[in-house]
Amino acid sequence: MEFTEFYRSERDRCLRAVLAGVADRQVAEDLVAEAFTRAWMSWHKVRRHPAPRAWVVRTALNLRVSWWRRHRREVDLGDGHVDTADGTGEPGGGLDPALLRLLRALPPRQREVIAFRVFLDLDTAATAKALGMAPGTVTAHLSRAIATLRGHLVVNHSQEQS
Amino acid sequence: MNDHDTDVLDTLRGSLDAVTMGTPVEDIVSTGRARRNRRRLATVAAGTVAVAGVALGVASLANPPAGPPATAPGVNAAGEVHVRTVAYTVDSRADGTVQVTWTKQQWFEDPAGLEAALRQAGFPVVVKVGEFCAGPGDDLTLVHGTGPGVTGVVRPLAGADATFVFDASALPPGKQLFIGYLTPAQLEVTGGSPGSVERLVPIDTPLTCTTVAPPREGRPAGSEEDPSAKPVKPVK
Repeated sequence: MEFTEFYRSERDRCLRAVLAGVADRQVAEDLVAEAFTRAWMSWHKVRRHPAPRAWVVRTALNLRVSWWRRHRREVDLGDGHVDTADGTGEPGGGLDPALLRLLRALPPRQREVIAFRVFLDLDTAATAKALGMAPGTVTAHLSRAIATLRGHLVVNHSQEQS
Repeated sequence: MNDHDTDVLDTLRGSLDAVTMGTPVEDIVSTGRARRNRRRLATVAAGTVAVAGVALGVASLANPPAGPPATAPGVNAAGEVHVRTVAYTVDSRADGTVQVTWTKQQWFEDPAGLEAALRQAGFPVVVKVGEFCAGPGDDLTLVHGTGPGVTGVVRPLAGADATFVFDASALPPGKQLFIGYLTPAQLEVTGGSPGSVERLVPIDTPLTCTTVAPPREGRPAGSEEDPSAKPVKPVK
């Protein structure tokens, strides 16, 4: 597979996965662009990876810390994640702020499991390998995340229908 | 995972369906390419600083950056060649000659790069390691590894150690310089004298090369009836 083909077929899926992990639309795009750039530079290696899109998302999520360190104007929200502090109130780039708040309410590892299991559509074993945790831990994180999300998403869904 | 769990995850997945990546692939590739080129140049510069102690305007013909540069690597806007590597330096001089500095030990680091650098500077040369070449009818006499006419073409720079001036205008028409460096094993046989063979050889005529090193001073052992001698394609 050529890099251009890979990028065009996987970029949106990777962006949504990283967005689930960082809950900030612009940050997610920056991280994914950087991760794809690194994939291009190491394409001879990445192309042979069993799940290249997982490599991209793993790289993007690993870049979070350094990305936030570079952006001093941002304010720590207290859970190790940050939001923009420029007053625009649009860290989600037009996404529902309630959804982003809901994602941020999840512990980071639960968000990572959602990113790989839900948005990259990897199975439990592949997710466990990508995140360096036991398959049972993946299942537990996903179960807890679903429990947290269930009420909020169902409530929202019900409100839209009413 | 039950149906209710699947519904939750489907709802979450669907909530991000409208999110798409706005960065075009061309931006990704151009950023990666520029970064890779910078790293290559930085690597060359680091090697130069470590050995030569100079770091300004560094480029290497042996490691050209990807993509077409405005001028060839090591060539400035005036067409002058200035190359620094761990093995040698090559600089164009105002009088048309080329100043080269090397140590024989470091020569083995990059003979092909030196050959390319000299050619870039306008000096026709063939450089080999462990092979010794000559054209048909060439005078094979060597004195301290140097053939007839070479001393007028390659002159040591007064007051400098291992620095030479290569003068292309002193080459006879149709001739180029051949430099063959002895390998470490060959140097053990000669005791370092000679450590290399320099000859003026034809440009457009096939050369015959041997892997047999010259003896300690004088005529190369392989220049007479050497069974390992083999013809090579003309080098231009």
